[in-house]
Amino acid sequence: MAERALNLFWVALGLATCAYARSLGLTGPGGPDSGLFPFIAGAFVAAGGLWLLLRARQTRAGNVVWPRGAALARVTMVTGGLVAMTLLLPYIGFVAAAVVTMVVLLRAIERTRWIEVIGLAVASSVAVWWLFARVLAVPLPQGPWGF
Amino acid sequence: MEALTGLATGFGAILTPANLWYCFVGSLIGTLIGVLPGIGPLAAMSLLLPITFSLQPLGAVAMLAAIFYGAMYGGSTTSVLVNIPGEAASVVTCLDGYEMAKRGRAGAALGMAAIGSFIAGTISVVLVTLFSPALTTVALKFGPPENAALMVFGLVCTVLMIRGSPVKGLVMIALGFLIAAVGQDVVNGRERFTFGSVDLLAGLELVSIVIGLFGVSEILLNVEELARNDVVRTKIAGLLPTAADWRASWKPILRGSGLGFLLGVVPGGGPVTASFLSYTMEKRLSKTPEKFGTGTIEGVAGPESANNAAVAGSMIPLLSLGLPANAVTALLLGALIIQGIQPGPMFMVQRPDLFWGVIASLYVGNVFLLLLNLPLIGLWVQLLRVPYRILFPLILLLCVVGAFAANKNLFDLPVMIGFGVAGYVLRKLEYDLAPLILAIVLAPLLEQSLRQSLVMSQDGFAIFLVRPISVGILALSAAVVAWIAWRALRPAKP
Repeated sequence: MAERALNLFWVALGLATCAYARSLGLTGPGGPDSGLFPFIAGAFVAAGGLWLLLRARQTRAGNVVWPRGAALARVTMVTGGLVAMTLLLPYIGFVAAAVVTMVVLLRAIERTRWIEVIGLAVASSVAVWWLFARVLAVPLPQGPWGF
Repeated sequence: MEALTGLATGFGAILTPANLWYCFVGSLIGTLIGVLPGIGPLAAMSLLLPITFSLQPLGAVAMLAAIFYGAMYGGSTTSVLVNIPGEAASVVTCLDGYEMAKRGRAGAALGMAAIGSFIAGTISVVLVTLFSPALTTVALKFGPPENAALMVFGLVCTVLMIRGSPVKGLVMIALGFLIAAVGQDVVNGRERFTFGSVDLLAGLELVSIVIGLFGVSEILLNVEELARNDVVRTKIAGLLPTAADWRASWKPILRGSGLGFLLGVVPGGGPVTASFLSYTMEKRLSKTPEKFGTGTIEGVAGPESANNAAVAGSMIPLLSLGLPANAVTALLLGALIIQGIQPGPMFMVQRPDLFWGVIASLYVGNVFLLLLNLPLIGLWVQLLRVPYRILFPLILLLCVVGAFAANKNLFDLPVMIGFGVAGYVLRKLEYDLAPLILAIVLAPLLEQSLRQSLVMSQDGFAIFLVRPISVGILALSAAVVAWIAWRALRPAKP
C-alpha cells in the first residue's frame, strides 16, 4: 500500500516537474535552457514510477515491517521532538530548546529516573553548546537569556 | 620521481601542528563512530562538515578522510565483541571475529584487524602515490567538453553501484537531478523550483540533505527497536597476534590489500564490496574452508585489510578525476567544492600542495589509527556499554547543530527533518540512497560543463565528437551502458 502510494507520487511528481520545466524553456539559442535538465529528470522520475507501479510484483520491497504500538510511538516522538526543537529554537535559544527536547525524548523513549534525565539533558546540551558556540564560534540561536 | 617530489610537498603541508591535530581528531572520531553501532561514517562526516568550513582546506579534508578510514578500523571492534557491525564494511568480520571472541580470542581478532588494516592502508596509499601522477599527463588537456564527458561517465558508473532494484536506483538518480536543480540556474541565474521563497534561492543545502537522509533516518530506524548491548564480558588480552596467527594471516592481508585497492578505484566498488569479496576469496582459497565461520583468523584479516585498502583506492578517482566512487567520497567532493576547490583533472596541477597533502595525510592517519586502536580497545569496550537510549538524543542534537551551522539558517532544519523522514521511508522500501547523493553532487557539475561546452561550440553537440578525450570517455560510457543492458537483459541461469 505504502509502496503503491510512493510510486503514484513519483508519477505525479515527474509529470508536474515536466510541466513546470517546459514553462522555463527547454532549449534556447545557446543550447539547453534552464528547463531541459529538470524536464529530463522529471520524465525519468515519472517513467520510473510508472514502471514500478506496473511491475509491482517484481520490484516490491520484500518483508517491509512498519512500526506499530510502542515502536511507532518512539519514531513519532523522535520526529515530533525534532519538529518541536526547530519551532522552539528562535524563541528560547539552543540550550533551552535542546534541554526540553532531550528531557522529553529520554523520558518518552524509555522510562528513566528524572534526576538522571535532567542531569544528562543539561550536561549534554551545555557541552554541545560550549563546543560549537564557544570553541568553534558557530552562532547558534540565542534565547532571551543570551544562550 | 615525480611522485616522490609530490609526496615530499604533501608531507611538508600535512606535517604542521594544526593539520596533524585535525588528522588525529578525524582518526579518533572515525574510530569512535566505527565502534558505535547506529551511526555510520557518512552520517558522522555530514555532522562534522560544517565545522570544517572554518578550517584550512587541507586540515578539513584530512579530518573528513580520517573519519572515513577510521570508521573502517573501529567497525571491527563491535563486530568482534558484540556481533553487531559498527558500519556496513565490518558485517563480514562478525562471522569469524565474534566466534573468536566467544572462544577467548577477542584480543587476537582485534589486534589482527588493527594490524591488518594498518598494513593494507599503507600498501594502498603507496599504490595511490604511484598511480595518481599517471593521470596528470592528460589533465592539462581537459576543458568543459571533457569535464562534461567525465560527468556522464560518473553518472553511468553511479548506475553500476545501485544496490537492489535498478529502476528504484534510477528514480533516485533522477530525483537527485531535480533536487540539485532547485535554486538559481548556474548559467543564467534564472530561478527554478523556488516558488518565490528566498530560502530556496541558494538551493537546498547538501549538508542538511545528507544529515537527514543518513543521520536522522538511521536514528528513526534504530529507535524502532532499542537493542540492549551485550558486550563480551571476558577480559580482553593478547592483542598481539601469535606466530601461528601471522603465518595464517599474511597472505590474506596482502590479497585483501590488492583486492580492496582495485575495488576502491572502480566506481561502485568500495569498502563493503571489498570486505565481502575478500571473505569469499579467502574461503575459496583456503585448504580448510569448513573452518570459516567458526572463528578462523583469516576470516578477520582478509576482509579488514580489504575494506581499509578500498578507502585509499577510492581517493584516486576522487582526487584525479573529481569522480566520487561512493556516497562518502561524494561528501568529500562536496567538502572540497564548499572550500572553493574543484577536484578533477587539473587539481594536481593547480593545487599540488593540497593533492599530495591529502595523500600524505592518509599515511599519517594510518599511523595514528594503529597507535589509537591497540591501546584504546578497553575504552571502546566501555563506550559500547552506553545504552542507545542515551546516545541517540545526543546524536540528534549534533544533527540539529550540523544542519544549522552550514548556513546559519533555521530553514535548513525543516529540510533536514523532511529528508530524514523521506530517507526512513525510502530505506524501508529498499531504495538505495547513495545514487541520490551522487546525483545531487554531480548534476550541477554536468549541467554547467555541458552548457559551457555548447556555448563554446560552433556546431552544437559535435564538439564532444571532435575532441579525442571527450569522445574516448563517451565511448567508454557507451560501452558501460551496453554492458549494463546486456547484464540486465540476458536470460537468468536456470
